[in-house]
Amino acid sequence: MNHQESQRPEKVNPLEMRDLGFIESGNNDGLDDNHDQDELADSSQSRQAVDESDSSEDEVAPRNTIGDVPLEWYKDEKHIGYDIAGKKIKKKERQDKLDSFLASADDSKNWRKIYDEYNDEEVELTKEETKLIRRLLKGKAPHAEFDPYAPYVDWFKWDDAKHPLSNAPEPKRRFIPSKWESKKVVEYVRAIRKGLIKFDKPKEEPRLYLLWGDDSSSADRTKHLAYIPPPKPKLPGHEESYNPSLEYLPTQEEINTYQLMYEEDRPKFIPKRFTSFRSIPAYENAIKDSFERCLDLYLCPRVRKKRINIDPESLKPKLPSRKDLRPYPVTCYLEYRGHEGAVLSISVEPSGQWIASGSKDGTVRIWEVETGRCLRVWELGEAVQHVAWNPLLELPILAVSVGSDVLILNTGFGNEEQQRKAKELLQIGTPTSSDDSDDISSVLSWLQDEKHDCIRLRHFRTVSSIEWHRKGDYLSTVMPAGESRAILIHQLSKKLTQRLPFKHHGLPVSSVFHPTRSIFFVATKKNVRVYDLLRQKLIKKLETQLREVSSIAVHPAGDNVIVGSKEGKLCWFDMDLSSKPYKTLKCHPKDITNVAFHRSYPLFASCSDDCTAYVFHGMVYADLNQNPLIVPLEILRGHTSSDGRGVIDCKFHPRQPWLFTAGADSSIKLYCH
Amino acid sequence: MGKPKHYQPPGKKKEGNAARYVTRSQAIKLLQVSLSDFRKLCIHKGVFPREPKKKVKGNHHTYYHLKDVMYILHDPLLEKFREIRAYKKKIKKAKAKKNDELARLLLSRAPSYKLDMVIRDRYPTFVDALRDLDDPLTMVHLFAMLPAIDRLKIEVKCIHNCRRLCHEWQAYISRTHKLRKVFVAVKGIYYQAEVEGQKITWLAPHARQQVLTDDVDFNVMLTFLEFYEALLGFVNFQLYHSMNVKYPPILDPRLEALAADLYALSRYFDANYKTSVQEPQVAGSSISEQEQEESNLRLAQLQRQLPANEPGALMHLVQDAASETEEDEATRDCKNLFQNMKIFLSREVPRESLLFVIPAFGGIVSWEGDGAPFAEADDSITHQIVDRPTQGHVYLSREYVQPQWIYDSVNARIILPTEAYMVGRDPPPHLSPFVDNEAEGYVPDYAKTIKELQAAAKNDVQPFPGMGNDVLDNSQNMLAEGYISRTEAMEAAEKKQKMMLLEKQYHDDLKMELQDVSSINKQSSAEDMESKEELLRDVQQSAMDSEDLSRLMMSRKKRGLAKAIEMNKQRKKDHVEKLKERKRNIEAAQKSEKKHKKA
Repeated sequence: MNHQESQRPEKVNPLEMRDLGFIESGNNDGLDDNHDQDELADSSQSRQAVDESDSSEDEVAPRNTIGDVPLEWYKDEKHIGYDIAGKKIKKKERQDKLDSFLASADDSKNWRKIYDEYNDEEVELTKEETKLIRRLLKGKAPHAEFDPYAPYVDWFKWDDAKHPLSNAPEPKRRFIPSKWESKKVVEYVRAIRKGLIKFDKPKEEPRLYLLWGDDSSSADRTKHLAYIPPPKPKLPGHEESYNPSLEYLPTQEEINTYQLMYEEDRPKFIPKRFTSFRSIPAYENAIKDSFERCLDLYLCPRVRKKRINIDPESLKPKLPSRKDLRPYPVTCYLEYRGHEGAVLSISVEPSGQWIASGSKDGTVRIWEVETGRCLRVWELGEAVQHVAWNPLLELPILAVSVGSDVLILNTGFGNEEQQRKAKELLQIGTPTSSDDSDDISSVLSWLQDEKHDCIRLRHFRTVSSIEWHRKGDYLSTVMPAGESRAILIHQLSKKLTQRLPFKHHGLPVSSVFHPTRSIFFVATKKNVRVYDLLRQKLIKKLETQLREVSSIAVHPAGDNVIVGSKEGKLCWFDMDLSSKPYKTLKCHPKDITNVAFHRSYPLFASCSDDCTAYVFHGMVYADLNQNPLIVPLEILRGHTSSDGRGVIDCKFHPRQPWLFTAGADSSIKLYCH
Repeated sequence: MGKPKHYQPPGKKKEGNAARYVTRSQAIKLLQVSLSDFRKLCIHKGVFPREPKKKVKGNHHTYYHLKDVMYILHDPLLEKFREIRAYKKKIKKAKAKKNDELARLLLSRAPSYKLDMVIRDRYPTFVDALRDLDDPLTMVHLFAMLPAIDRLKIEVKCIHNCRRLCHEWQAYISRTHKLRKVFVAVKGIYYQAEVEGQKITWLAPHARQQVLTDDVDFNVMLTFLEFYEALLGFVNFQLYHSMNVKYPPILDPRLEALAADLYALSRYFDANYKTSVQEPQVAGSSISEQEQEESNLRLAQLQRQLPANEPGALMHLVQDAASETEEDEATRDCKNLFQNMKIFLSREVPRESLLFVIPAFGGIVSWEGDGAPFAEADDSITHQIVDRPTQGHVYLSREYVQPQWIYDSVNARIILPTEAYMVGRDPPPHLSPFVDNEAEGYVPDYAKTIKELQAAAKNDVQPFPGMGNDVLDNSQNMLAEGYISRTEAMEAAEKKQKMMLLEKQYHDDLKMELQDVSSINKQSSAEDMESKEELLRDVQQSAMDSEDLSRLMMSRKKRGLAKAIEMNKQRKKDHVEKLKERKRNIEAAQKSEKKHKKA
């Protein structure tokens, strides 16, 4: 029955078990623990064993009852002690030694007899007893049947215990309710009541509900930054189909060429064709694509960009119609042939009747503009770098740069008086040694050239360009390699030469006089410097932001300058506006060789080594608030390239909207409107 | 004025981009969360880096707008994440102390978070949510196809949820006939639906064993998936609610076990939709008496004691009419595409996709297997979809076609002739419905034939009730009769106006042309000389010159733009040229092959 009871509460908290034990403490056998059970069994067994040993001793009750006292106390008494009834037990009469010896000698069994001093009697040992004694003497177990080496039977059930149970009696604490436990129980009860301890609830599913409500009007965006929706993935085209048209499939060769491409340029997706639905395999990059999309969504900066769906026509600036800006040179009207080398420079006579040209073949020619007839030829023997007509109508002379010399030629035009004046001017009477500029006289000399009947100005370096002052008396020459004396200004009437009284910065390329005022422009490779000659001061520095300036021209009004560069860029400077270019036009793919303004029409032109010349409309308004209007008008073609050079020089006709161009193909062309 | 909120030492005041944008590490410091938590927050809140005009900290940083960071900072989700982090420490501690009991207990009570308010915040209106639904749908469809992997923390529950969400979404689309385009690509099947005016495109991978790659961080993907699942759940709820169907749907367990979820869902719709549609009608009729028809119906219902769950033929009629008014023309078109067709799917065809597509276009479909609505032996089957080299047993009463026929018909919106799609043949090319062939500049041959077929079909078919001319004219009268609803009348009126406009424009054009001819004549006579001069010059050269000259005056920015546009045009042109060349080559090869055969 105990067992049955113990089986019942199989899994109860130890706490509860204690309680149970406590409640049923009356019958503590009811404890279910194996441990306790074993203990119980053990104790009963041991008690039995004790009983057994007692009974074996008490088989024959001792006659004497004195207990365990020294027998010496009864030495002198007549009795040895008392029996159960309390009567004295009398001592036996002592046999004398002889008798006893004789008796022992007679009696063969005498050796078995032992005198029991306590009871005062002789006891005869039985055979079994002697055997026992003998075994004891040998140190063996008294009973022969006893097997000291019997196989060990472990009667203890070592269920969970480490040690066999002790024999100790049940402690008291097992029988009284635990104080601490009851305290804990109270604590738990309170915690449960307060809701501190929650029992496992059934897990609820994520609840879904009508998140947006029925009305779609409640669109109150949070006060947050503008949400930029992620761009939708690109929709698939025909080529992504499982069964695309055959023309969408790249050929094997094309696929092979993909391997040669850079990885970024390689097409991400190579179309494939499957003839039936069942043969489509799983797409191997599905997860990767999805992952990359995820990364794009949360790692890529999103910027709202306006989709440029603009008509490219609308990008073009609104310009006035070209028809309204006529007249301007459009077609090639005349060609002047005769030179045998590239024509390096041309110059138009101020009246517009004649044109002079200098060529690489060492000749200077003068042509009639309207007929194309060559009037005069000077053989100078060396390549002619630059020619320039004197701007005065009544002084028909021509400045020509040949190598390091500048020749001032008398063209022989004009009436007699003009000829006389010119001849007079071109005579060097006495070589006046300029006293104030010694260094100049050492590097430059005014000589009379007998052969051509002209003045020869011998410079110390090659002269690249010559420019006349508007009054026709002064003449500036540029020697790019001349360092501090690169730019010289010569006075024809006094046969005087002076150095530009400014420090030079960079390599000078060209120089121009202002058309109305005493201002001088010097173009170096990077910048254009503007000097006031009267006050001898630097007025302005125009920063071209070009790599290499090749040419410069000044607007007849004097406030606007154009600069051409060797990278094909043309800069328009409005000097009133700023020292930075008002407009930079990248028009030519090759070097710009020269630029020119028309004297009366609002036209300017640039010519380049790419065998073209551009004509622009460049209107400058008197109103300072209005910016100049620049309209490209025409591209003039016709020259052919030779030695990598195209059109080398261009000049406008002084009266008509005509343009002369000198080409490396040894021809000069006239473009008319 | 009071004190400034935060003291800034003079000269150290942050302004402009430096104050407005923070780098990622700054943002993390500000929020006091770990990087992984920050990532999660960014994903859930939809916060993305922004590009400041000036990058104060350098080019190699990612920048977040400070307002974005504050937006995260003020969200309760952040606090929840911190709580979770602290709680995880507790669990770790319990485990380290070998207190498994406590660890288990703690694990079972771990705090969780809900995303509903985040969704509401990110998408204030339902349409906003629909607009961004492309990515969620694609992702959920992908995960519905993935295996559950412990190593990657992809749980079975998650996969099942994905599958359920997919099916629910598809069931809705199919039921309301909102599917518009289907395209079978190598990557999977692209579907495009139009819900509330939003075009939603998603990609469902083919039903194959997916290839798992190692170079993918599944943590990121699972975070996205978590948000997407929540979003899709709410979207589905809203959509089902709009149909008066209870959500989440309770499915027939037998069908569910047979993995015929979609069919089970449609059955569920059938059961729910009818009863739910009926209820409002009853209520409406009792309140207002304006519509006689409905009250009549009510009377009839009462008289005949129609059972509620099995409405009669009249019920059906009314229901259809009621739903018809809501639907737009495209939906009606789609609904009637496969009408009167019974389609049977063979064992080998992709069942899930076709079970979705065919009912979406009004067809009746069955398949081989348990739980199918009708068996293969059914006589009324008109088409059987087959994807095998040869078909053994053939019923003469039906046509055997390849699955591509369904998709091509759907995209063309006409029933295509089946000859080309017969069993064992190479089907004609499958073309993308997302491409505007005219804009692309190249029209594949099959697109041309489809166009012809469409034109032929249009002429064949009787004028549609909504589009016919007589209806257009009489719309006002009909309104008086109360036959069509107001919205439809407006639509019709609009259409009429449009047509008028077009006509007018055409007339104007004609007039203009007539005038132009005369004016040009006059001008030319006046400018005879000039034109002659012009003619002398090379026309092409002048055109090029004028092009150059106009480009000369553009600003550098515009010039670059023009150049880019031109390059793009050129690239497109090159692509088209390439296609044409390939086609020529293919044709030539075919011709030579034929000749060889003849010889």
